[in-house]
Amino acid sequence: MSFPILSLLILTPIIGALTLSLSSSTQLKNKTVFLSGLWITTGEFLLSLLLPFFYDKSQNGYQFIEFHTWFDKFDINYYVGVDGISIPLILLTTFLVPICLLCSINSIQNRAKEFVIYFLLLESFIIGVFVSIDLVIFYVFFEAVLIPMFLIIGIWGGENRLYATFKFFLYTLAGSVLMLLAIIYIISKVKSGNIELISDFTFDQQIELVLFLCFFASFAVKVPMFPFHTWLPDAHVQAPTSGSVILAGVLLKLGAYGFIRLSLPFFEFASIYFQPMVFALSCVAIVYTSIVALRQLDMKKMIAYSSVAHMGFVTIGIFTLTQDGINGAYFQMISHGIVSAALFLIVGVVYERHHTRLISDYSGVTNVMPKYSFFFMVFMLSSVGLPGTSGFVGEFLVIMSTISVSVYLTFFTAIGVILGASYMLLLYKNINFGDLKSDIKQLTDLTNIEIFYFSCLAFLTILLGIYPKFLFEMINKSISLSII
Amino acid sequence: MVNLYQFIPEIFILSLILITLFFGLLNKDRAISLNTLGFIFLSILLFNYGKDFYSSTQLSLNTINLFVLSKIILSIGSIIFILLLKRPLKNENLYRYEYVLFILFAILGSFVLISSNNFLTAFIGLELQSLSLYLMAAFNTKNLFSNEAGIKYFSLGALSSGFLLFGISMIYYDTGSFTIQNLENFTAISEIGLSLVLISLFFKVSAAPFHIWTPDVYEGSPTISTLFFATLPKFASLIFLFRVYQELNISDIKSLNYIFQMVCAISLLVGVYGAITQKVIKRLLAFSSINHIGFMLLGIMSYQFMSEGTLFFYLIIYLITTFGIFAVLLNLRTVDGEFTKISQLNGLRFTSNSKSISMLVFFFSLAGIPPFAGFFAKFFILSASINDGFIFLSIIAVLSSVIAAFYYLTIIKNMFFNKLEIELLDDNNKIGKVIFITSGLIITLFFIFPDPLINLVDNLFK
Repeated sequence: MSFPILSLLILTPIIGALTLSLSSSTQLKNKTVFLSGLWITTGEFLLSLLLPFFYDKSQNGYQFIEFHTWFDKFDINYYVGVDGISIPLILLTTFLVPICLLCSINSIQNRAKEFVIYFLLLESFIIGVFVSIDLVIFYVFFEAVLIPMFLIIGIWGGENRLYATFKFFLYTLAGSVLMLLAIIYIISKVKSGNIELISDFTFDQQIELVLFLCFFASFAVKVPMFPFHTWLPDAHVQAPTSGSVILAGVLLKLGAYGFIRLSLPFFEFASIYFQPMVFALSCVAIVYTSIVALRQLDMKKMIAYSSVAHMGFVTIGIFTLTQDGINGAYFQMISHGIVSAALFLIVGVVYERHHTRLISDYSGVTNVMPKYSFFFMVFMLSSVGLPGTSGFVGEFLVIMSTISVSVYLTFFTAIGVILGASYMLLLYKNINFGDLKSDIKQLTDLTNIEIFYFSCLAFLTILLGIYPKFLFEMINKSISLSII
Repeated sequence: MVNLYQFIPEIFILSLILITLFFGLLNKDRAISLNTLGFIFLSILLFNYGKDFYSSTQLSLNTINLFVLSKIILSIGSIIFILLLKRPLKNENLYRYEYVLFILFAILGSFVLISSNNFLTAFIGLELQSLSLYLMAAFNTKNLFSNEAGIKYFSLGALSSGFLLFGISMIYYDTGSFTIQNLENFTAISEIGLSLVLISLFFKVSAAPFHIWTPDVYEGSPTISTLFFATLPKFASLIFLFRVYQELNISDIKSLNYIFQMVCAISLLVGVYGAITQKVIKRLLAFSSINHIGFMLLGIMSYQFMSEGTLFFYLIIYLITTFGIFAVLLNLRTVDGEFTKISQLNGLRFTSNSKSISMLVFFFSLAGIPPFAGFFAKFFILSASINDGFIFLSIIAVLSSVIAAFYYLTIIKNMFFNKLEIELLDDNNKIGKVIFITSGLIITLFFIFPDPLINLVDNLFK
């Protein structure tokens, strides 16, 4: 197809951001700014919906390819294309960004224009990561994501936002620079940054192990895996609701996406070699962070830790190196993207009304906010993994695929499910049931806008839970190619 | 008969100096515009006929290209600098025409230094350059710090010149030649001599551990002089260092190679550790420049892979960024005078869009975060060094840039996250504004249109 749809996807938000930034700042009201941002991102979403329609599922390899020479001398090219692995994630991104803007219309009062601009830039950088099939441009986008996120947390975050945003930035950067060295080394060996060419190249085994670890450092911080996860709770707690949504919904997926897209096909030997390490770290992540989540007093922190646990399922699934496992992991990624985003929105709703995130400050909310409790329940159950919701499919597939590796692994993953159910149910019980506190009484139920976006998310959750096939159809072929 | 053709650029500057000496007494403003025009003319001359000047010499094509490109960069830098200097000097009541003369002398010295093929000529060039710099550091005679900076710079600089001379004489003693060329049949005396020469050059480019003067001189001097120290003379000394490294095949001499690598690693680390705790922005920039010198030394060492292009590209990006940052700093004033502390930048976001966003771009670029040009500069240097096998140094370099990101982020934090405390006054310097906005645009848009800059560097090396 000659129509440059991928470049258009990258450029639309940037152009939108430019137009916004050039418009005179004093004249615009907050509402107008958000509305224009919404128009741009909704347009972007509709544009991205073209991808699955025109994507030919029967073919191997990348489609909608665009190729321009970029740095002639160094053989670095602007080379983009999508396959089954990237399309759902692009859709997830374009779907979540308008919701982020919607949910912050009321909560972001100062510097609204900047806020929208950073979100638009963030969107285009994230899409850039998912569409690039050249290592250098992948890295450029992967790193560039940090800049708007740093500013979003730093400007509109909570009290301790500086600590959180610095930690977020430096952790991620420290991981990424090692990947940069590995990328440079690979390019100097293969003489090309093309992902497909590199997949065919076999490295010396010792070197492959080192390269794998370099990539691992970057992706493990992003996912985040167990010893590198400490930035996540801080960042989530301090970020504004929309920041948490995009962070949990999409940014964490960049790491897992990197594992599937780069680590597995590049380093087949090392992936098998380091399988036990990844399993061990993921098991610890699942059990340990679930227990930590049980003890949290802050709602956002609890959901943040639950994110780490859920991403543990993803890494386990990926490194079983079986079709089922990676399918399940991928499904879990998408499902977690929707559900955790929704849960952060849920927290945001009450925080905006009551200005506290402590679980103990809430009780009996269901009496005053029945609609809210309903949606909370849908997402909570999906997070727990109830059959019929999207959370079930991914977890089930991952657990099933672990049996072929080791029964102990299955045991620990299954424990994670139980622990997950216990802290989520506890959270739900403490907030929604019990005596109605006096200061809870004045809380108002969901507004129409909130109902709108919660229904969208709930619809998707249940749709994916009942009919997961359409997602699998999309990803099956591409994933089978990436394991070999 | 000496062929004077190859000295045209130097003669041109010399005549500019003479004209300015007479003419400047009468009218300072005219002298400035005259010099601007002169340097514009010189850049065009070099751009079009630069290679012809040296065609009668026996220099290799690569060396000629190196001369021409660095001289073009120096003259363009001088244009920008001369355009910029009037307002800041007036603010400090320092607007005297001698200042322009110092610049001219320093640039003349740099020209001589770059294209010298003989250690003694190089020494003359270096001294001409340095003496003007000492005077520029102490130019604000009523300010104690400026005097201190001048004296400190002078005494340490004189010491390093002593090293240089001593080193040169040792080489002469051993090999009987002053020429900068591949040494043959040399003994340990030459090695010691060369290491002394290197130490003196490391001092000039402020590579650690010979950097102690840098923060004090940067802080004490008038900001406009600091801008000059940070850019053009340093650039020239670095090019000369590069030539010494290349012509004398230092990579083959084990002991010197070792010194070079050590200095590179120490610069990378000292730069970042020194900068973390700084409260005064000029000191921070001084340490950050030491870190960048580390990267440049890495580029010098790994020139074999991608030719001089990598190093030049890094230098150009670094010069553009530094000019941009200082143009912003010079455009800001507190009520009492020059602003110095980083904390005074608090809340700049609320008072000035263009300044804060340009600073954001510059500091992210210095930190090497894509998509800004600074990332690509570092990327190419690292590519070259990994290809040449400096894996360990590359790891130090990237880790140091992570630490560096911390203090660059701190500045951005002050501008974007903190509340406005004291409003900084805008100096309304139109030229400064044009400079920082242009350099900001170059740094940002390089990502989309890399070709013009890359081709510029590339064509000259073909």
